[in-house]
Amino acid sequence: MDRDREFARGRPVAVLVFVTGLAWLTPAFAHAPLLDCYIEGDSVKCEAGFSDGTSAAGKKLSVLDASHKLLVAAVLDKTGAYSFKPPKGDYQVVFDGGDNHTATIYSTEIK
Amino acid sequence: MPVRFRAAAVAAAAGAIAGVFSPFALAHFQMLYVPESALERAAETPMAIVFTHPFHGGPTMNMGLPRSFYVVSQRGDDAAPVKTDLSKYLQPIEWQGVGNKAAAYRAKLPREVVRSMGDYVFALEPEPYLEKEEDKYIQQFTKLVMNVGGVPGNWDKPLGLAAEIQPLNKPYANWVGGVFSGIVLSQGKPVPFARIELEYVNHAPDLNAQAFATAGAIEAPHPSYENISVRADAAGTFSIGLPRAGWWGICALGVGPSKKHEGKPLSQDAVLWVQAKDMKR
Repeated sequence: MDRDREFARGRPVAVLVFVTGLAWLTPAFAHAPLLDCYIEGDSVKCEAGFSDGTSAAGKKLSVLDASHKLLVAAVLDKTGAYSFKPPKGDYQVVFDGGDNHTATIYSTEIK
Repeated sequence: MPVRFRAAAVAAAAGAIAGVFSPFALAHFQMLYVPESALERAAETPMAIVFTHPFHGGPTMNMGLPRSFYVVSQRGDDAAPVKTDLSKYLQPIEWQGVGNKAAAYRAKLPREVVRSMGDYVFALEPEPYLEKEEDKYIQQFTKLVMNVGGVPGNWDKPLGLAAEIQPLNKPYANWVGGVFSGIVLSQGKPVPFARIELEYVNHAPDLNAQAFATAGAIEAPHPSYENISVRADAAGTFSIGLPRAGWWGICALGVGPSKKHEGKPLSQDAVLWVQAKDMKR
């Protein structure tokens, strides 16, 4: 009985919050941006995609230096890839999957 | 305790005798084994290719040189699949099974092979194996599906093998307690009521030692639990449960079109490997 009362009082709000959250976040759940980069010859090749198999073609990819200065602003090709000559020093690559959902990889992780 | 010990000894003896006769004539599984099928990032991937009875870790059978060994990979739903021949990576080895050693293969797949994110559907077409007990050949078309980085691709696409299991769940992403479904295909067409065997890899494979662990992880309460029988439905679709973490082999028997090899009966089987993981923090 206590549990029922607790449910009656507490759950509708929780459910409402959950449903509202779902409405906002569903694309992020089903559609997480994914990024990996590796060294290929004297270039860095980055490949992006989404967890539901959606193509990343035409989406934005940025290369930033250690002080977050934008070095490269690129658009991913039809295979969701982009290659560039690595800058000197530490850098990071950011894949912008849209709706403020990004995936980032740091130069120390790129091999 | 002594009574229980005696019972175990009798069971072991009975098992050994049974092994000489028919039960092991069934339950053959062509293994394509990697420790981890869902990779976060690309890494060199050692693979073991062993023909055995995985619940018992043996007897293990001698393999001939496979007729083909390749991978079809794809990153994303719309990308074109890429086929890569892997036969140059096949190295003959001796695999130590439980009770015997047999000719098998390993393949050290370099990072370049699995470097991009996406799905990797590995396929092996072995040379038919002569099962002397029954005087018939067995040829198991075997698939192992890996993923790198979480971007899906062609995990659910058939390769067009003579005998094939088309997965309806990602073979590399299964919780323990989940259900796994697939369709049994013969030259791309569903096989109604196909006969299917299911076995747990009960003796952990050790790629460095090229051997199965001597001790099994679990004990079956009854022989019918060692090699579980399943039937596809009228549409060729089947479902299985995954009650324990590790690797599960699914084998559809005799579904391929060729029924004869070198004058003897041939069973063209389809094998698919599925990995299950515990839900934990």
